[in-house]
Amino acid sequence: MSGDSGFLFTFFNLAVAKQYWPAIGMGMLVTVGVGLAVVATGTALGLALAVLRSFGLRLLALPIVVFADVMRSLPPLVVMIVLYFGLPALGLPMSAFAVTWVALSLVLAAYAEESIWAGILAVPPGQLEAARSTGMGWWQGMRCVVLPQALRRAVPPLTNRIIATTKNTALGSVVALNEILNNAQGATSHAGNPTPLVMASVAYLIVFMPLVFASRGVERRWGRA
Amino acid sequence: MPILDIAGLHKSYGSTEVLRGVDLQVNTGELVCVIGPSGSGKSTMLRCCNLLETPTRGRITANGHEVTSSAVNINHVRQDIGMVFQQFNLYPHLSALDNVSLALRKVQRKPRDEADQLAQAALEQVGLGAKAGNRPAELSGGQQQRVGIARAVALKPHIILFDEPTSALDPELVEDVLNVMRDLRQRGMTMLVVTHEMAFAHAAADRVVFMDGGVVVEQGTAAEVFETPREPRTRSFLARYGSARS
Amino acid sequence: MQSFVQNFFNLEIYAAVLPYLLQGLWTTVWLSAIVIPLGAAAGLALALGLTQSAGRLVRGAIVVWVDFFRAFPPLVLLILIYFGGPFLGVELNKVSAVVLAFVLNNSSYFAEVFRAGLEGVDKGQMEASRSTGLTRAQALRHVVVPQAVRNVLPDLVGNGIEIVKLTSIASVVAIPELLRSARDAQSLVFNPSPVMLAALIYLALLWPLTRWLGRLEHRRARA
Repeated sequence: MSGDSGFLFTFFNLAVAKQYWPAIGMGMLVTVGVGLAVVATGTALGLALAVLRSFGLRLLALPIVVFADVMRSLPPLVVMIVLYFGLPALGLPMSAFAVTWVALSLVLAAYAEESIWAGILAVPPGQLEAARSTGMGWWQGMRCVVLPQALRRAVPPLTNRIIATTKNTALGSVVALNEILNNAQGATSHAGNPTPLVMASVAYLIVFMPLVFASRGVERRWGRA
Repeated sequence: MPILDIAGLHKSYGSTEVLRGVDLQVNTGELVCVIGPSGSGKSTMLRCCNLLETPTRGRITANGHEVTSSAVNINHVRQDIGMVFQQFNLYPHLSALDNVSLALRKVQRKPRDEADQLAQAALEQVGLGAKAGNRPAELSGGQQQRVGIARAVALKPHIILFDEPTSALDPELVEDVLNVMRDLRQRGMTMLVVTHEMAFAHAAADRVVFMDGGVVVEQGTAAEVFETPREPRTRSFLARYGSARS
Repeated sequence: MQSFVQNFFNLEIYAAVLPYLLQGLWTTVWLSAIVIPLGAAAGLALALGLTQSAGRLVRGAIVVWVDFFRAFPPLVLLILIYFGGPFLGVELNKVSAVVLAFVLNNSSYFAEVFRAGLEGVDKGQMEASRSTGLTRAQALRHVVVPQAVRNVLPDLVGNGIEIVKLTSIASVVAIPELLRSARDAQSLVFNPSPVMLAALIYLALLWPLTRWLGRLEHRRARA
């Protein structure tokens, strides 16, 4: 292995770092931005689908189940590539941000729907009965009694899945999204030095380690129903 | 006019007929106890009264509303019919006070303060005023059921249906709940109670109804049914259970 | 509509590229077959270290290691190892880089699953087996770990399915797995159909497994 100074010069080159840290910083903004957008739309869509499924209509439930199965069976990168190349062919060109956002939202929505649905099933039917027996409508009963309990049960699997999905924003680099990895790869080849890749690693850790710690705390607080 | 009028009630699940023509009336201020073996359809009949089960045939009228009509606003009607469940069915994520006040706020649209006051009063009535802030998990079974009763009472219904209210309780907790029910009776509440507590039915009921095989076999005053039953089925059931419990 | 079919479900193109994609599928399969056992073994070792070790330092280190790799995107890890390696003078061939990255990433998920499984086994099991003279290691091997595995079998299967999906990332470093084959074919025919066909093949492979997983979870929930 090369000497100490060689290692540092290669992977922790301060000159290179100074030149390219803005690019990495911009990439962090994009990563966080896409991540937040995906979590917001993915969980909202998943919740909506789970509620629709709880109506009990087979015609409604079947496409939801198919959607959830398909989106959980396909690798997220494949979903992204299909959208990226397929949509322009349909006359619907989408930016890299949009493709990444839509693809990951669909995947997260599928997992969210399954977790929340499992939570809804776990709530004893007597709960809704009791609510309805006091004159509450079906939706009131769901909103005030069933869903709060269902969501509590869904939190542990959901937080894990949210972390996994937001990490997949790195896949956006494949469709040329200017997030951390993409910018770092560009910088690396430009500088002929892998320091930007190390910077990217640090950037990802800065973004995601807090998320992992937070999820442990959330699980501990909400996990005990 | 009776507060609750059940006429020709039939209920089938697929090919299994659980209720084969039940006729029953409950008058204002009466405590009517329904007894009978498991599978006789007692609970099903009770749950048809507030449409938790849908009758296959028959007519049910409660508080002047025809519950079985297709035009009925069931949420409106249910505010006037209280229900107490065997499994309590308290909302675990809410305090006792919120359990009782939820319908007051969401269904009767009462403001928070007013709803909380009414809820607190209902809890006091069942002897649990001090536990208003506790979650169901922190309460004993008997206390939970009493909160369930408070939840039904708070809406000021004209009749309360009790579906085996003490069957899920440890024996030493049963008496507390029965006392609350006796107290309700004193205050003039109309009550229809499906129960296995024979001593309670014998002592407290105005009328007792014996059901078996999906029909009402016999009914009369408590004394008539428990002491001088006419039907052989009634007699053999009472012999098995005993008309008095220690 | 016509152009939709032409672009996504072009049967002629499907027929032409299918052999190529099937080779890619084979790569996906054997890559998974290498990573899954290695990841599971590493994860089990980490979980055992976490639950059985008395040393706070050891357990702390394992927690940090596991959280680190849970927070680190696998694609970035792969790129780092693959492109950064040569700078260290370490010439990892493509497959080794991929396997290393995947095992590092996935063993942390396996570790979490096994940890939950081990913690779910009643303490009395260890006590009972030790009281009959078994050593710690024997008790773990014959009594505790088998029960732990049975408890979390659905999660292990789920993780296995995740690894099969993960192999698609290897396409970025030009490993000729299924997605890579499809993208190569696509650049030859100028038509997104190959990628669509790859998606269909993934579905054919993984959808039944996902359904089976659902049944396993359902059975566990009822038990």
